[in-house]
Amino acid sequence: MNKSVYWLVNVLLETGYRYEDGDIVGTDAQLHHIRIEDGRMASVASGELPEDGLPRRDAAGLLLLPAFREMHIHIDKTYYGGPWKAVRPANGVFGRIEEERELLPKLLPTAQQRAEKMLEMLLGFGSTHVRTHCNIDPVVGLRNMEAAMRALDTYSGKLSHEVVAFPQHGLLRSDAVELVREAMRQGATHVGAVDPATVDGDIDRSLQTVMDIAIEADAGVDIHVHDGGDAGLATMRRVAELTEQAGWQGRVTVSHAFAFAGDAAAAAELAGRFAELGISITSTVPFGGLIMPLPMMHAKGVAIGLGNDSITDHWSPFGIGDCLEKAGRLAELYRFVDERSLAQSLGYITGGVTPLDAEGRRVWPATGDAADVVLVQASCSAEAVARRAERKAVLFGGELVAGALEKR
Amino acid sequence: MHNAYWLLNVRLETGHEVESGAVTGTKTGLFRLRIKDGKITAIANMSDAGDIDGLPQLDARGLLALPPFIEKHCHLDKTLLGDRWRPVRPAASLFERFEIEARTLPTLRTTMKERAEKLLELLLRAGSTHIRTHVDLYPEAGLRHLEAVQEALASFEGKLTSEIVAFPQHGLLRTQSKGIVREALRGGCGLVGGVDPHTVDGDMEKSLQTMMELAVEANADVDLHLHDGGRIGLDTIRRLAQLADEAGWQGRVSVSHAFALADMQGEEAEETAQLLANSGIAIITSVPLGRAIPPVPFLHDRGVHVAVGCDNIFDSWSPFGNGDVLERAGRLAERFGRKTEQELAEALGFITGGVTPLDKDGQPVWPKLGDEASFVFAEASCSAETVARRAKRPAVMHRGTIVAGALERTSL
Repeated sequence: MNKSVYWLVNVLLETGYRYEDGDIVGTDAQLHHIRIEDGRMASVASGELPEDGLPRRDAAGLLLLPAFREMHIHIDKTYYGGPWKAVRPANGVFGRIEEERELLPKLLPTAQQRAEKMLEMLLGFGSTHVRTHCNIDPVVGLRNMEAAMRALDTYSGKLSHEVVAFPQHGLLRSDAVELVREAMRQGATHVGAVDPATVDGDIDRSLQTVMDIAIEADAGVDIHVHDGGDAGLATMRRVAELTEQAGWQGRVTVSHAFAFAGDAAAAAELAGRFAELGISITSTVPFGGLIMPLPMMHAKGVAIGLGNDSITDHWSPFGIGDCLEKAGRLAELYRFVDERSLAQSLGYITGGVTPLDAEGRRVWPATGDAADVVLVQASCSAEAVARRAERKAVLFGGELVAGALEKR
Repeated sequence: MHNAYWLLNVRLETGHEVESGAVTGTKTGLFRLRIKDGKITAIANMSDAGDIDGLPQLDARGLLALPPFIEKHCHLDKTLLGDRWRPVRPAASLFERFEIEARTLPTLRTTMKERAEKLLELLLRAGSTHIRTHVDLYPEAGLRHLEAVQEALASFEGKLTSEIVAFPQHGLLRTQSKGIVREALRGGCGLVGGVDPHTVDGDMEKSLQTMMELAVEANADVDLHLHDGGRIGLDTIRRLAQLADEAGWQGRVSVSHAFALADMQGEEAEETAQLLANSGIAIITSVPLGRAIPPVPFLHDRGVHVAVGCDNIFDSWSPFGNGDVLERAGRLAERFGRKTEQELAEALGFITGGVTPLDKDGQPVWPKLGDEASFVFAEASCSAETVARRAKRPAVMHRGTIVAGALERTSL
C-alpha cells in the first residue's frame, strides 16, 4: 500500500506533570511536529521546521493521543442503523438464545451493512482496532461471521481487527465444535466460548475443546465468562491451567470475568495468576449491581481492555460506541479524579499506551511507533478523559480515516 | 418570535404497539400544532385538511416532540466551565474540600457569571428549560454567588425558568449561616437548602428544625443534600418527613442524593417509601457511579416522586459531567436494567417532572390543548429510543420560542 510521507505540524504533545505543594496539578504540553512515513511516526521535531519539500498537514494545536482499541463488540448482530427496537423480556441467557433462533436469520440480510455502520461509528470516536465476536451457531452457521468479515474488508486500511469465532449457543450445548473449526479455517483469529459451566454444563470438557481448537488453528482464545461465584472462579482457574499447559501465555482473554467481583482474596490471587500467564480480560465497565475490581487487577498487572459489547441489540439498547466515554466512565466509577489517575486511565482503551508514564516521563510517541492516533480538542490526556474531548481527526497508519485536518 | 404560527410535521406518540401481551413498540403520528402566545391552541393530524389561517409556519420535519427537560440538581456557581482545565485536588476531608473550593473560585480568570452562563448554555442545548440550582452561602462568600448566578440567569430570561436553593454548603449551623440564608430567601431564593444535618452540622434535630423554620418563615420549599447513609440517613429522612407534615409542607420538600435509601431493608423499605409518598417528599438523584443509590424503580412504583439532575459539572468536586440530563436518565435506566419499551419510556418522566407523552396504558396524555408550547425535538421514533440511544436534539422550544438549535422556517 502506498503510504504518504508528510509532516504533521503543530501537534500538542504532553511533556510532563506540573506539581504544586507535592500534588500533581496539571500537565505540561508543547507543540511538536511529527514526520509520518510508512505509516509510522518517523521523527518528532519542535520549533521552526526546515523547508524540506514534504507536504504538511496542520494539527492546529490539537492534542495527540494513541488511537483507541475497541476490545469487545459484536458487530455481527445489531439493530444499529436499523429501526429502533427495545429489548423484549426474556428468560435469562437461554431465553435470549431461544430468541436468537428467530431473530438472527431476520438480521442476516442487513448484517454486513449494519456492521459497516458500526465500524464507521467506532472509527469516528477514535477506535482503529476492533475485536469483534461473531456468532457461530447452528442457526446462522458461519454466515454472521462472513457478513462481519465483508464489513471488515470494506474497512481494511482504516482499522485493524480480530475476529472471535463465538459459539453463543454453547460450544458443546449447540454442538458447534465443527462449525468453530471451520470458522478458524476461514480466518477467525480467536476461539470463543460462553460460560463453560452454565451454558455447556461441563467446565473441563468445554475449555479443553476450546484449547484443542486454538492449538490446532494456532489461534488466540477469548472466552465470555459471565458466571460468578465458584463456577466463574473454577472456570477461570481452569483457563489459567490450560493456558499454562499449552504454552498459550499472552494469547488468552477472558471477557466480562464477573467472578472477579466476588470474594476479594480469591480475586486477588486469580489476578496474580492471570498477570503471570498474560491472560488479559475485557470489560464493559459495568456499574449497576456488579462492580469489577479493575483497579486491583490493573495493579496486579492484568492487561485490561474495554469494549462496548452491544450498541443496540436484543441484549441491550444502551451502547454508545465511544471508547473514550468508556474510559471516562471507568474513571468516574473508580473515583479517578486527580490528574495522574485520569491520564493513566487512558491506558485502558489504548492497550496500555499513555503519552506520559506514571512518573510523568514522556514515553509516547516514540520514533517508529505506528501512526495510529487520535487528535482531540484538549490540553492533556486527563482533560480528554474527564471531559470526553471532541475528536477532530483519526489517523490509521498515518492516513486520515475520520474527521479532518487542514492541508498546508 | 411570531405571536401565532403553525408548527408542522411534529411527531407525537399515539399509543403502544402490543405483541402477544407485551408492549414492544410505540406508535406515532405526524401532527400540526397551532401555537399562540406561547401556548398550544390547536392540534391536528398532518393528513387532515384544514385552514392554516395564513399564519407563518415552522417545520419540525418529523422530529419527535418531547416534554421539555428539567435539570433538578446543579450548582451554577461551582462550575469551572469556560476556564482552563484543572483536575480535582486531593483533599483529606470534606472540610478541606470546602477550603480548596473557596480558595480556587476567586482566583479564576473567568467570572462566576461567565461560567454559569456556559453551563446554562449546555443545559439548554441538552433540552433543559427549567433549572433548579443550588448556590453556596457561607460567611466568606456572602451573597456573591447568589448575585452572580442571578445575573447569569437574567441573561437567559425568556429561554428557561429557574429556581434557586439557598445552600449553606459549609453547614447551616456549623458556619452559623442562618442569617445569610434568610437574606438569600429574601433576595430571590425559592428554596432552603442544607447538607447532612448530622455529619456536617453535628445536630440533626436542630439543623432540620432551623431549615424548616426558615422555610416556613419565607414560605419557601426545601431541598436537603443528604449523603449520610445507613441509620443516620434514614432517621434524618424520617424526621424531615415529620417536620414537613407538621408544617403542612407536603409536596414542598426534596431530598437530594438520599443515599441512605439504598440501605433500606424489607419492611422498612416499604414503610419509608410510603412515608415519602404520603408526605410528598421528592427524591433527587444524579445517578452517581460506584456507590449505592436510592432504589428508583421501587420508589417510583410506590408513588414517590423521583427526579434526576446532573449535580457537579466540572468543578472542584468532580472533573466529570456534561449537563446532559437525558444522558443521566439513560444512565439511570442502564443502572437499574430498565431496557424494555415501557421501562425506557417511563424513565423519561424522571427528567420531565413526571410528564410522559403516553400513560401506563398507552393513552396519549401529552401534549394537550392549552399546554405551554415547550418541547425538546429529538431525532428519535419514540421516548424509549430517546432515552436508550441518547437521541440528538436539533431544537429546543420554550413557550413558543426556539431557545436552542433550530427548526426550519417554511415561508408561505
